[in-house]
Amino acid sequence: MIEILSASALATVQDLGRTGALRWGVGTSGAMDPLALAAGNILLGNDEGAAAIEVPVFPFQVRFAQDCAFAITGADVAARLDDEALLPWWSAPARAGQVLQLGLPQPGPWRASRAYLCVAGGVDVPPALGSRSTQLRGAFGGHEGRALRQGDSLRVGSTNGEQRTTGIGLVPPALALPLHVDDLPAIRVLPAAEYANYSEASRAAFWSEPWKITAQSDRYGYRLSGTPLEAVSALEMRSHGIVPGVIQVPPGGQPIVQMRDAQPSGGYPKLGTVIEADLWRLGQAPIGSRVRFVETNWDDAVAALAQTRRWLDEVRRLVELHRGSR
Amino acid sequence: MMNSNSDRVRQLSDWLAGTDIARLELRGHGESICLRREGGRIVVAQDEPALVPADAPSVTATAASVGVFLHRHPLRDTAIAETGTTVCRGQTVGLLQIGALLLPVASPCDGVVAAMLLEHGATAGYGERLVELHPLPAGA
Repeated sequence: MIEILSASALATVQDLGRTGALRWGVGTSGAMDPLALAAGNILLGNDEGAAAIEVPVFPFQVRFAQDCAFAITGADVAARLDDEALLPWWSAPARAGQVLQLGLPQPGPWRASRAYLCVAGGVDVPPALGSRSTQLRGAFGGHEGRALRQGDSLRVGSTNGEQRTTGIGLVPPALALPLHVDDLPAIRVLPAAEYANYSEASRAAFWSEPWKITAQSDRYGYRLSGTPLEAVSALEMRSHGIVPGVIQVPPGGQPIVQMRDAQPSGGYPKLGTVIEADLWRLGQAPIGSRVRFVETNWDDAVAALAQTRRWLDEVRRLVELHRGSR
Repeated sequence: MMNSNSDRVRQLSDWLAGTDIARLELRGHGESICLRREGGRIVVAQDEPALVPADAPSVTATAASVGVFLHRHPLRDTAIAETGTTVCRGQTVGLLQIGALLLPVASPCDGVVAAMLLEHGATAGYGERLVELHPLPAGA
């Protein structure tokens, strides 16, 4: 068991998401930084998609009620296990009774906002529609369909008595697969159906100007602020299916990027879609920070996804090689 | 079954011949060997000086693997163990990077970090001395 000691809200149990349920109006959910979640699981010898705790608000504290191998990935949150400082993107063993504290995200070459606490065996909550992710809108999945609260206890999945190697770490993908424009994190976008409905100046501004992530940004969507995007003509649209990554433009011209807890349908015009391979970059961008968008095409979007796949495969190969050598 | 050093050298040479490695140096237990590629042949380099003298300080953290030696974590701008820091046996004093993987370089004793023997970002050979420590007396 892991006991939640923090009163801070918004930490949730997540895996790689509830895909294939949009037809029932059930959104995807899942980790805002799926690469961090998958990498943490690989460090521990778990399946990539084992459930973990996504922590967006700090400090955050848990007590291990049992001996348990764990890994911290995502933002560098200066984690401490009792008095021992831990490195970011690192795995470590905890003994029953030890307290893990995640502090504030640290400044550094990668500004990130979410940390992942993965445990050997995964967080054991019942799967719902094929996923352990918390579906906040529908109030199911994860731990009782809601964010974690002080006093909650989470079960740790079985490792079948297998000892898991710990004490190793990873170079974060933000450094291994960097993408920047003018020193700002860059995010690749495919133009979407209503792209042509925006003025040439607005389209140019979308690609050439920074966009600030406003305080009205969360797992549902990121509201951005920048030069308002001007439509050539007013569009009245029926609601239609949307997915995480879709960039909608409400009448005010300030875009909204749908994120993991996006509702499955919407009626605003769509300027573009953040490619799946880059959703983690946006998912980690802190409120108040600025990002740049880079126009891409289908082939490059698919290639980018293959590149993240190769990174994960290489991480697994190296971790297993190391495990085999011990 | 290999029963002599010359058998081992032959085996190493055969392995090396199948790679694009230009130079292989092994050290340990007061012995060292250096193999060098000369065209398609692998030769024992008799005259090459060892990179570390045999009488180097006795308490050092060494590389358990080939890798890139890091003084600091890639996300941090401060060293894991600055010179002068007191560390416990087993405590991480540096990192070895192998591709995406980071392995800890552990202190072999309770002691004080005396010197980094390799630059941050330099490639470390297997068994290479990485961090020099002044051991603390037991019970200190």
